[in-house]
Amino acid sequence: MTPRRWLPRSFRARLLAGAILWTAGLLPLMHLLMMFAVRRRYHWVITIDHHHLVIAALLLLLCGVLALRRPVTSLAELRARLAAVRDGRASRVDGTYPSEIQALVDELNALLTDREQQVARAVAKAGDLAHGLKTPLALLLQEAEQSPQVAQQVERMRRQIDYHLAHARAAASGATLGARTSIRDSANALARTMLRLHATRGVTIDVDAAPEYAFRGGREDLDEMLGNLLDNACKWARTRVTVTSSLDGAQVVIEVDDDGPGIDPSLRDRVLQRGVRADEAAPGSGFGLAIVRDLAEVYGGSIALDRASLGGLRATLRLPSA
Amino acid sequence: MRVLVVEDEPRLNEQLAASLEEAGYAVDRALDGERADFLARTERYDALLLDLGLPNVDGLTLLRRWRDAGIGVPVLVLTARGSWHETVQGIDGGADDYVAKPFRIEEVLARLRALIRRATGQTTPELRCGAIVLDPRSGKVTRADAPVRLTSHEYRVLSYLMHHRGRVISQAELTEHIYAQDFDRDSNTVEVFIARLRRKLGAETIETLRGLGYRMECER
Repeated sequence: MTPRRWLPRSFRARLLAGAILWTAGLLPLMHLLMMFAVRRRYHWVITIDHHHLVIAALLLLLCGVLALRRPVTSLAELRARLAAVRDGRASRVDGTYPSEIQALVDELNALLTDREQQVARAVAKAGDLAHGLKTPLALLLQEAEQSPQVAQQVERMRRQIDYHLAHARAAASGATLGARTSIRDSANALARTMLRLHATRGVTIDVDAAPEYAFRGGREDLDEMLGNLLDNACKWARTRVTVTSSLDGAQVVIEVDDDGPGIDPSLRDRVLQRGVRADEAAPGSGFGLAIVRDLAEVYGGSIALDRASLGGLRATLRLPSA
Repeated sequence: MRVLVVEDEPRLNEQLAASLEEAGYAVDRALDGERADFLARTERYDALLLDLGLPNVDGLTLLRRWRDAGIGVPVLVLTARGSWHETVQGIDGGADDYVAKPFRIEEVLARLRALIRRATGQTTPELRCGAIVLDPRSGKVTRADAPVRLTSHEYRVLSYLMHHRGRVISQAELTEHIYAQDFDRDSNTVEVFIARLRRKLGAETIETLRGLGYRMECER
């Protein structure tokens, strides 16, 4: 709603203006009503044009209502905008409000920014910790070339780090307000990467996603989920991988299909079995699906495996749409 | 084949270099971004191992600079951040492959071999030229199925020539690709290695094109 420049922005000034206008409209009307009540006895008193007076009075009343309307509706608007922020549809409380409320909104926005920065810093620190451990782990792994036990423990530590870092980041993404990631951008960038990494396999990747389809969450997390699914598909596909996206109510659905051997239905369930967390999954299974499931669930989404129309595996990822 | 290892953790850098040398590569080392930048611009490498988390200049910035400058050497990125998001950035920045830390050295070696193979247009893991077969995976050379024992420098010369079969390789190019930077090159000249290789593999294996260089011509 555009602010009406000819009216004061202050809540108090508007209340005052509204009250004065309303009273100014009410007075002539009351006066006329009284006149009508007593006109039979005092015909000579009524000399002015009634119609014009009535119209002028109604106009004044209307102006009074308009002056009061804005401050009152702005509260309802504020409530709607706050709800949007909480749902993650917006990152800030937008709009212009009467100056008393505007001050409150500005403070609120500052608080949101501050909190977002704190979360971002905490995630960055968690990342630094995780990645700071990786190089010493790499060293340890080289030093322990002759010891399978040490190698196994290093692998476990790596999984723990990746698992908890992914969770910390995803949880923080939930706290990042108004995050929105285009499915097409993420899928296209990943397809480019996969074609390079799996260059010798000669697999083609088709991405079919409308530009407006978006995931309500961070780019890093969508890349992680889609990346694992695509990498998996490229490893198993014979010649072709497809990524298709569609909307289903409040969810965006992403299907990653390949024309590889697929997975036996009984094994499909096992791969996604509850309780098999990424950090507990057997080393070397290399499937990366557990982390996809974990991330999807943090966002209130899901992952399901099925048979693809191409013949291989279809992974269906459902995520909140933005 | 000559490789540059860029890794800021000295011990890991040392380990990588040692493993690569053992696998038959001439290895240069850089511990920070500036040194890596200098070496990549002045020396000729067949591949680079690049850690992304470097002090001074980070690996991704270096990589983009090199690609912008037209330096097309194959780059295998080593990274502590194994996320797909970062992989996308690395590949878009010009990396050819990715290994996440902590890694097994065999994995690094396998990917490096594949990278060099791709960059030189080879399709099979084994390199074959007539009766001579060089397997970069084991570092073994056979002639008519009989194993041939080569010194590390002889192996590097043969490996470079076989990766570039059919192409004329100048003596200067060979020199650039078989020695690490700090190596005293005077006492080990290319001619000596070629002569020894001919003795071990047969005089006809390596052609000399006077004034141009050497060539391995094989019927494929």
